[in-house]
Amino acid sequence: MTTHHPDLSTLMSYSAGSLPDAIATVVAAHLSVCSHCSRHVQEAEQIGISLLEELEPAPLSAGARDDILAMLDDTEQVAEPAKPAKQNVPDNADVPAPLRHLLGHYLDDLHWKTMAPGLKQFILPAAESNLRLLKIAPGTCMPSHGHTGSELTMVIRGSYSDELGRFCAGDVADLDPDVQHQPVADTHEGCICLIATDAPLRFNGLVPRLLQPFFQL
Amino acid sequence: MTDHDNKNCHTGSSGSDHFSKKSTMDPDNSSTETPDQLKQSLVDLGRYRDKQTFALLYDFFAPRLKRHLMSKGAHGEMAEELVQETMLSVWRHCKSYDPDKSTASTWIFRIARNLWIDRLRKEKADLMSPLDNYPESSFVPAMTEFDSDKIKSALNNLPQQQAQLVYKVYYEGKSHREISEDMDMPLGSVKSGLRLAFTKLRNQMGEVK
Repeated sequence: MTTHHPDLSTLMSYSAGSLPDAIATVVAAHLSVCSHCSRHVQEAEQIGISLLEELEPAPLSAGARDDILAMLDDTEQVAEPAKPAKQNVPDNADVPAPLRHLLGHYLDDLHWKTMAPGLKQFILPAAESNLRLLKIAPGTCMPSHGHTGSELTMVIRGSYSDELGRFCAGDVADLDPDVQHQPVADTHEGCICLIATDAPLRFNGLVPRLLQPFFQL
Repeated sequence: MTDHDNKNCHTGSSGSDHFSKKSTMDPDNSSTETPDQLKQSLVDLGRYRDKQTFALLYDFFAPRLKRHLMSKGAHGEMAEELVQETMLSVWRHCKSYDPDKSTASTWIFRIARNLWIDRLRKEKADLMSPLDNYPESSFVPAMTEFDSDKIKSALNNLPQQQAQLVYKVYYEGKSHREISEDMDMPLGSVKSGLRLAFTKLRNQMGEVK
């Protein structure tokens, strides 16, 4: 279904556990709906494992082996696939699977903060990068901007268009810093995106730049 | 704990030295396990709950996991703690290992990666700890068998800069931005280099079947 995917370099770094956490979250959200990329991640994992098998072993301290063997008797084995209890996720839940823990099931239940007319956001706690949900009213135009680092955006609801094409639910835009774009929500229901950046956005034009601290972008 | 299990780890040292020179690995066989043997051992472990099978897997994986975690930035002691946690987790969960879905290495290194990420989160205050960025993939079809040797030779054939990028991603755990700073390369070139490398390596995997 999805037509825009994360870059292979992003999937590779995801599989290695090397992405900033906010960006990894967006990848995880995309993987939960894209088997195409899940397969690439598996391939990248295999490459990683081949590399790891090349590692020169690092000896453990003397007692480590005895210690762990002694612990086995007291450690229960978990019977059969411990499928993490498939909790009753309502069919109409629209929060991406990896975020449900944190946000519950419905995007409309979140406390959205208005940033500007037609623009609301919900900031998620992330460690070394920024993660937020952005809600763009139909027809609303984001200020044109570039990026000083990586940005990964996934459309959760609705769609938007920019210089690169049309992005619908499930699609991911994996943007290089040299990309300038100006997204417009282009359906009647507006657009909700999950956006991770590992550096501040760079707005063009004085007014958007002045607004930047206010937006917390 | 039997005497038999002990045979590889008589060190005579006080045990206080974390970097004891004496390897706990059995030099005769543990480094030559094939992926299929490891896979079988892991399946057997789930079936028979046999300590000797566990010891065999431990001898193979623990030192490699430790090196891996140290290359990701864990200091020796923490790396060792995580190795123990990982291997204990292998013991607890080996019944859910599905040999059709992944090799033993993939499965075990994935556990280590998740524990490592959890650990990093706990150390920083306000992270989204409950968030699971790395769920077990549930719907991806069985992985085709891959030939590790081919991937390794493909890696050796990469242009030096691409190989270096791959190395930084997998061994050093660096983000694209960090790599671009390290190597003084534009971010876009980091990504395209990795993309090219991935495509070449993946083609090698494709030729296996």
